[in-house]
Amino acid sequence: MGRTMIDEDERSDAVLFARLRALWRAEDPEPADLAERMIAAVAMEDVAREYTLLALLEPSMLAVVRGETDTATLQFGDGRTNVLLHVTATEDGSRRIDGWVDAEALAIRIAQGDREWTGAMEARGRFAFDAIPPGLSKLRLVVRGVDGEQHEFQSPQFEA
Amino acid sequence: MAQGVGAGSELAEPARWERAGSLFARWREGDGRAMDDLVRLMTPTLWHIVRAHGLDAALAQDVVQTTWLTLVRRHESIRDPQAVSGWLTTCARREAWRASSAHRRVEATEAEALEVRLPLHESAEQTATTQDASHRLWLAVERLDERCRRLLRIVAFEERPEYARIAADLAMPVGSIGPTRQRCLGKLRALLEDDGWGEP
Repeated sequence: MGRTMIDEDERSDAVLFARLRALWRAEDPEPADLAERMIAAVAMEDVAREYTLLALLEPSMLAVVRGETDTATLQFGDGRTNVLLHVTATEDGSRRIDGWVDAEALAIRIAQGDREWTGAMEARGRFAFDAIPPGLSKLRLVVRGVDGEQHEFQSPQFEA
Repeated sequence: MAQGVGAGSELAEPARWERAGSLFARWREGDGRAMDDLVRLMTPTLWHIVRAHGLDAALAQDVVQTTWLTLVRRHESIRDPQAVSGWLTTCARREAWRASSAHRRVEATEAEALEVRLPLHESAEQTATTQDASHRLWLAVERLDERCRRLLRIVAFEERPEYARIAADLAMPVGSIGPTRQRCLGKLRALLEDDGWGEP
């Protein structure tokens, strides 16, 4: 009898726990985009990979944003993946950097020395960074290639 | 099972920890997409375990992210890939505990004292419909004390709860977790019965 009682109790507990799970999933679900944001964070953190250095395609000399109304346009690429960057000086003296990448970008960051900023990804490969301090910067991105593999790229330093 | 909320089908699913283990093994062998799938599989579970600690949504997301980044940095310390699910939930509990103790101080004894009658949560009143069985279950859960609510949520989402670790993380004696779990389930059932709603 003891055996059966225990089994019954365990089953009854399991049913109640399953209902509790369903309840919490309904009442307090994780944010809809949480998993995708975690995938991006993991892609950036996975330091085992090596960055492929992108070449500066346009202009041939690194641009410097001087005045408040200036916008510099830079293009980087490795023959398959291309990144277009616009660097704009803002009124508060910081820089807005936005652009476009022609691949499925998982994550994108601007690095200045040890400091890093994560870019906001928008539709169709667009991305943007607000309020980046002026200074020597690198762009880092993780993309999913057509082969399904992850590829990591880093731009040469540019003056924002 | 008239009041069921999808329990039956869930019990038939292959174990999540096994799927997590094989995805983790594939990622270690160089399959980058397997990590994406592992993140998709385990993130909801981590969310519920972290939220059980009472963290607000923003902080909970930070803790979930810290858990994933910690996995990437320290994955070599996991000898058996099949252990990855338990490793993740343990890491999430510890990070949640750390974050919650940094942000607020609620003594467990005070929480026990609140047990008598908690005011109903506003969100529960807004979102739940009146005669629904899950609404009644929610009301009963809301009336549980903080410690019971936390423990039941953690145990509900851990497939293979390791009581020794949970005990340490909740600052409870190891031997008390099993009985506390049963006491909490008993309270929940009693609240449901008070409400005129029997167990299936």
